[in-house]
Amino acid sequence: MNMTSSIRATAIFMSPAALIAIFIVMPPLLYVVYTSVNGLAFSLDLYADVVASKLFRQTLITTFVISGISCFVSLVLGFVVALHLASQPARRRAILLGLVLLPLWTSILVKCFAFMVLLGREGVINSILSWAFDAHIQLPMILNRIGTLIGMINWQVPLVVLPILASLLAIDEAVYRAASIMGAKPARIFWTVTVRLSLPGVLAGLLSIFVMSLGSFMVPALLGGPKDLMLSNLVDYYSRQVLDWPRASTISVILFAISVSFAAPLALWRRSRRI
Amino acid sequence: MMPLPREERTQQVARDDSRPNGLGEDVVSAARSNRRDGSAGLVAKNRSENDPKYAIELKDISKYFGSLAALHPTKLAVNRGEFLTLLGPSGSGKSTLLNLIAGGSGPSTGSIFLDGRDITRMPPRERGIGMVFQNYALMPHMTVFENVAYPLRARHFDRSAIRAKVTEALDRVGLRGLEDRKPRQLSGGQQQRVGIARCIVYAPAIIMMDEPLGALDKNLREQMQGEIKRLHKDLGTTFIYVTHDQEEALNMSDRICLMSLGAIAQLGTPDDLYFRPRSRFVAEFIGESNIITGRVEGNGRMLVSGNETFLVPHEKRSTGSELTVMVRPERVRICGSAESVTTGENVLDGEVVGTAFVGGTTRVAIQCANGLHMTAKMMSDRLATRPAAGDQVRVCWSSIDTVTLDS
Repeated sequence: MNMTSSIRATAIFMSPAALIAIFIVMPPLLYVVYTSVNGLAFSLDLYADVVASKLFRQTLITTFVISGISCFVSLVLGFVVALHLASQPARRRAILLGLVLLPLWTSILVKCFAFMVLLGREGVINSILSWAFDAHIQLPMILNRIGTLIGMINWQVPLVVLPILASLLAIDEAVYRAASIMGAKPARIFWTVTVRLSLPGVLAGLLSIFVMSLGSFMVPALLGGPKDLMLSNLVDYYSRQVLDWPRASTISVILFAISVSFAAPLALWRRSRRI
Repeated sequence: MMPLPREERTQQVARDDSRPNGLGEDVVSAARSNRRDGSAGLVAKNRSENDPKYAIELKDISKYFGSLAALHPTKLAVNRGEFLTLLGPSGSGKSTLLNLIAGGSGPSTGSIFLDGRDITRMPPRERGIGMVFQNYALMPHMTVFENVAYPLRARHFDRSAIRAKVTEALDRVGLRGLEDRKPRQLSGGQQQRVGIARCIVYAPAIIMMDEPLGALDKNLREQMQGEIKRLHKDLGTTFIYVTHDQEEALNMSDRICLMSLGAIAQLGTPDDLYFRPRSRFVAEFIGESNIITGRVEGNGRMLVSGNETFLVPHEKRSTGSELTVMVRPERVRICGSAESVTTGENVLDGEVVGTAFVGGTTRVAIQCANGLHMTAKMMSDRLATRPAAGDQVRVCWSSIDTVTLDS
């Protein structure tokens, strides 16, 4: 392959994305950075201040806890779903996959309101339970940690199913046959073949939902309580309630840096696998 | 290793441990004797149960998918230590048969006996069969060593026994030194050697190979044929080999089971199938053939079109009944019109309509005067002396080279 022509072709294909990045994404981002360092003063005082603040630290911990738990549960659920999908005949799998992806095509705002209707104090689930047990049941399932996690897991599962399913489908069926003829029991086959060979998909899915969940705003805002504030909500708080834009910018930049630090290895790893 | 009862298996491992210094020759011989003990023990154990003569015995086994028969009720007995090849076009039922023995799917009717044990309803992992796959089916994430060790780990062998056995198996297939490679870093031939090592490492009672050389190029395929044959001789294990390549089958097998449309067309030695094919299908599938149809005339003669009579082997069929015979092209001679013909030979005049020079041999197509189309195969001569299209020739063949077919 001619090196220069391939570079030129790449340039042509990449240019729309590059143009959007340079002229539409970068300016506000740079302005946020500019604001956070107090303009041309390049002062990092605000960073020191933010990092030292108790509210920020508490929110950072909450962000990691909610992201971690929801990603782990999503992974387990997603793996089970992917396993089931992988074992289905192609036609059936396409239909089931459509059902898995359905929530992904629905606005997160709509889903959050739907969960309010379902999980609220007088919501569908509590009403059914009340009727079934003939008592006035009001399980607290929204405006708290549970609600936040349910909302998070709801959008994470479809995203983690896809890469795992791709990995599972890539496993040669003959490998399973070979393993069982060679004397391996189902549990051993599951562990040494299924799990091991789906690891790339698991890792890719896990990292991408983790990075995305770090920046969650809508779910904790609508389904969470005051203790489920995540970093994005903090940014919102400073920019709209307190109108302290430099501080909001600083937190945004920190959140951005954290996300990149998790996303970059994934991107690099994907590239190294492709070559 | 057979799926022996658990106590027996652990005993064997323990015996391996008790060897003083688990190194070098000692370990290798330990592994070998271990295998011999294993199979010998099994033979002794089963002598009393059932007919132990056969390594595998299929009793009226069949496989139907709805009303479609992938395999009609079939009887097949494989002798101990035999190299049996299942040969046939795709869809003939050979892979179905292999799958039934391996336990990939259950039969619709009939039962399967392995060393006298009924294994019809046994899951694959307990059958103690080894299998080599066409597309290798190696674990892509494991090294060569881990791949070969896999069946031993599944059988809970201890670490030193695994190392010794894997080393021996890799030695046998000539892959020592590549233990730490991943399958994708190996060539196709090397990957299949890993597949074979992984199969022989646990000394299964039966080794089945499902078109193992199908993905390799011609030269490598021939070399591997020789190696597999030698392996069979060294191990003395029963081999069941599936291929659609007739030369491979003729070259390697003790017996060939030729299959067609979900049934056995003929079971016999390579010689039987080539020189004494029973049916037209067998004659046409294996090697090339001239098929001649006509009617029995009695007295070792048959009447064919153009009112010619041919000498054929004596035939029990009544005069006037239909008869199909076959002559191999290499048994058909092209002789000059002046040449005298010995008694017992059939002669036809004809015209050469085409020749195919394929290296060592030349195939000559002749349109005979009575409308019969004959093919003769001869050692190649230079172009100047080879028959050419348009030549008027005589073809002759001996009645003893004529084979009577069933239909």
